[in-house]
Amino acid sequence: MKGLIFNIKRYAIHDGPGIRVTFFMKGCPLGCWWCHNPEGISKDVQEVERVDRIGDKEFTVNEKVGKYYTEAELLDIAKKDMVFIEESGGGVTFSGGEPLVQDDFLSEALKLFRNEGIHTVVDTSGYARRSVIDKILPLTDLFLFDIKHLDPAKHKKFTGVSNDLILANYKHILEKGKKVIIRIPLIPGFNDDEGQLNALRDFVAGRQGTNIERVDLLPYHRIGSSKYRKFKLEYRMQNIEQPSARRMNEVKDFFAASGVNVKIGG
Amino acid sequence: MKLTDRVIKLREQSLNAVETISAERALLVTEFYKSDMAREVSVPVRRARAFEYILRNKKLCINEGELIVGERGPAPKATPTYPEISLHSLDDLEILDKRDKVSFKVSKEVKDIYEKEIIPYWRGKSNRDKIMEAMTPAWKKAYKAGVFTEFQEQRAPGHTVLGYKLFSTGFLDLKKEIEESIQDLDFYRDRYAYDKAEELKAMDIACDAIIMYANRNADELEKMASESTDEKRRTELKEMARICRKVPAHAPGTFHEMLQHYWFVHLGVVTELNPWDSFNPGRLDQHLLPVYTRDKTEGELTEERAYELLGCFWVKFNNHPSPPKMGVTAQESNTYTDFCLINLGGVKPDGTDAVNDITYMLLDLIGEMRILQPSSMVQVSKKSPDKFIYKALDIIKTGFGQPSCFNTDAIIQELIQQGKSIVDARNGGASGCVETGAFGTESYWLTGYFNLAKILEITLYDGIDPRTGETVGLPTGNPEDFKNFDDLFRAFRQQLEYFASTKIRGNNVIERIFAGNLPAPFLSLLIEDCIAKGRDYNDGGARYNTTYIQGVGLGTITDMLSSIRYNIYDKKKYTWKQVIDAMTNDFEGYDQLQYDLVYNSPKYGNDDDYADQHAVMVFEAFYDAVNGHRTPRGGIHRINMLPTTSHVYFGSVIGATPDGRRAYVPLSEGISPFQGVDRLGPTAVIKSASKIDHLRTGGTLLNQKFSPRFFEDEDSYQKLTALIRSYFKMDGHHVQFNVVDADTLRNAQKHPELYRDLIVRVAGYSDYFNDLGMDLQNEIIRRTEHESL
Repeated sequence: MKGLIFNIKRYAIHDGPGIRVTFFMKGCPLGCWWCHNPEGISKDVQEVERVDRIGDKEFTVNEKVGKYYTEAELLDIAKKDMVFIEESGGGVTFSGGEPLVQDDFLSEALKLFRNEGIHTVVDTSGYARRSVIDKILPLTDLFLFDIKHLDPAKHKKFTGVSNDLILANYKHILEKGKKVIIRIPLIPGFNDDEGQLNALRDFVAGRQGTNIERVDLLPYHRIGSSKYRKFKLEYRMQNIEQPSARRMNEVKDFFAASGVNVKIGG
Repeated sequence: MKLTDRVIKLREQSLNAVETISAERALLVTEFYKSDMAREVSVPVRRARAFEYILRNKKLCINEGELIVGERGPAPKATPTYPEISLHSLDDLEILDKRDKVSFKVSKEVKDIYEKEIIPYWRGKSNRDKIMEAMTPAWKKAYKAGVFTEFQEQRAPGHTVLGYKLFSTGFLDLKKEIEESIQDLDFYRDRYAYDKAEELKAMDIACDAIIMYANRNADELEKMASESTDEKRRTELKEMARICRKVPAHAPGTFHEMLQHYWFVHLGVVTELNPWDSFNPGRLDQHLLPVYTRDKTEGELTEERAYELLGCFWVKFNNHPSPPKMGVTAQESNTYTDFCLINLGGVKPDGTDAVNDITYMLLDLIGEMRILQPSSMVQVSKKSPDKFIYKALDIIKTGFGQPSCFNTDAIIQELIQQGKSIVDARNGGASGCVETGAFGTESYWLTGYFNLAKILEITLYDGIDPRTGETVGLPTGNPEDFKNFDDLFRAFRQQLEYFASTKIRGNNVIERIFAGNLPAPFLSLLIEDCIAKGRDYNDGGARYNTTYIQGVGLGTITDMLSSIRYNIYDKKKYTWKQVIDAMTNDFEGYDQLQYDLVYNSPKYGNDDDYADQHAVMVFEAFYDAVNGHRTPRGGIHRINMLPTTSHVYFGSVIGATPDGRRAYVPLSEGISPFQGVDRLGPTAVIKSASKIDHLRTGGTLLNQKFSPRFFEDEDSYQKLTALIRSYFKMDGHHVQFNVVDADTLRNAQKHPELYRDLIVRVAGYSDYFNDLGMDLQNEIIRRTEHESL
């Protein structure tokens, strides 16, 4: 089988335990306003223009975003970093985009890595059919699971989909005894008000003692904004400031006060 | 722990002291050579007497508040010259005084002394003159073209480190050893017995000289004590006088005595000659532990006092800038750093983990002192605890560039591979930048940087140096006639062997010039088995003798070869003619071609076997050309891969290259990839760097620049530690981290006055950013930007 990948990152140190190789898969059913990987939204190979420089000289080249790999090819790439993976207790992470969009390929790839004894992480929005979740579940050692907002309407406005399915899947994964790291992107004007933070805090704190390993607070950042032009997409977060380090620490302390194991960044 | 007020003041004194040239040593050595004392005696005895004369007559300097005494010059950072080794001209002095970077102020008085006394006596007679006279036209052509440099041209062989023996031995004990060695001489059978007797006599004079110098300091300290009105200082001065009467004549007994003892040894070495990489106490945490533990148990020493004494000791190194270099030698290594690399951690002689309380105390001190000298490194073995590495990362992340990380297990295997005993190997470490050595037992000479990329350039022009049009190499053919890549590599190998043999011939001559003209009887006391053999350090007296040639530009030459194979032979995208024309024109008018060479060609540093196979091929060819050739003192030629700052100089003599690199810009550094071409992160760089066989070298240098964000929490420490351990699992020798962001550096370039304390990792050492040349500064900024994307 072949899967469409738009980036492969070695020495990925924020996508699960240890040193990892992260595969970024194309295609995502959501359209989050703050998305910093807009090249992962479309499920097709895209052609964009890239400008390379040598000194003052500029070279405009056509770049294909997205390349098909077999699961065996992904394994070969990960194996190049095996010494680091073993030394650090790392593994591989499938991210995106939304990796569950290419569920058949994903499950084949996970099987292959599992057979090699390599630790597997799936970084997901949780937006997928239950049958897809059930297919992936036994092949995954750890989920990085996004909880963006608890209000369905607001969730729909800012991500394009309601959170019903997401929250149900979330509950299901925990019930199946899977390990989960919850990731909350902290987006100013979206989920950083007192009411929503209280709700999120209660939501994760209520689940303590289950298989929630940690809560990662991911501060909104603008690094991805320049990509929007390249992909001819509209960036709807133009006037949003990145939260300060102080603000992030406040929110962190707020969660920690309820006994939540919380961390800024992944 | 906190620095005491005393140490803070001494540190300030040292930071504020201005580097100057002192004519004192030059004047004394000239007086001596003119006198009857120097006449009609053997060379070793003359050298020992010169040493004695300097120590008897040099001005003493005891700084306010210090607890460890002794300065090489008349004041902190007053730097002596060594006219018998290389003579500075008046122009040289003028340049030293006026140059922007690494300047030494030269007073009118010093210039007058040079004009009237020093230059007239030494002109044409220095060791450098002897060397230059003895070199062949082929050697000189290659040297001038920038194919290699010559370490011994302006400085004496050094790169050696003290072992434990001298921390537990007094010079009176050494005198007894000398006496025994003289008694054992066999004048009946050994045709060198007389030479040995003269050498041993010289060593004996050197023992007396250093004891005499310590006593002079004791006299001065007693005088100061009697004049002091400060009760506390008076007690200190009396105690210091007592110590100087005891060491180095006798073995040190207390922690304080041990530090003072070493310091006298250090001063002896850097006064006798100006050896490369000054001198080094080596495994300091190991040497100090027994006496520290005993003093503490007996209630003689507190942890705080030990920390203060170490602070006083640290400052002494910083007061001693590297003797000023000139011309090409200054370009290959231009820095105040004199490469005293303190080794921490590693393993004990029995192979168990050696990290101890002193290790952590010294790491604390390094983090708090933040001064240029001494340099520091951690020896990480597979047995080292993670805590040790975490503690080192705590300091590294502040952007101080120290300590660097070394693989103890690799160092031991390198040494054993060279024929050392396992215990001597475990007592070893790295000195200078990254150079492997058996401490206390080895005389290892670094002889010059070797410009691998230049040799390939000369090959591409059929033996001609395109910069000058001169024929410097062999006529190995026009590349357009090479049918395949193997033809090209064969031609390169021929050129490489030619230049390596030229360099080795020169080394063998220079070694004899030093042995015959500049023996080092004092240094010979310190390194085993010079006394037992009755032979000088510079003449094969040491237990182990090694001679290194340092390969430079591995990343660049790998990219050059990869690009040629890929674009000309495999893909046939360009012809030889197109590539050579573009190079000759520095890519002016060849935009697309340059773009393809830069962006669409395989590059070293990306864990890509297509590119990396060439690194292995070049490494093996270089190894074959150098390794194993014997030297007159019984040494063996070996290779290592480190550049100091020579990759900048070497780049400045090479035109545009087939990897798309513009003319005269710096080459890649150490075994690191060329600036900016590694696109896949640190694991890929480390994988590429692991493909050469580090264990058959005497050291390699890998530089990894990280933005501070890689150090933000315990989790990232765990990952960096795993990164280091993985590299070491693959036999990597050394890795160092530079932690800075580009904006800081750019600001520092604009406002140097605001960043006087900014220290960055350069290449095997740290330096003040302000003291780096603009090109090197720019290179570091470029790399930083690349890393933080």
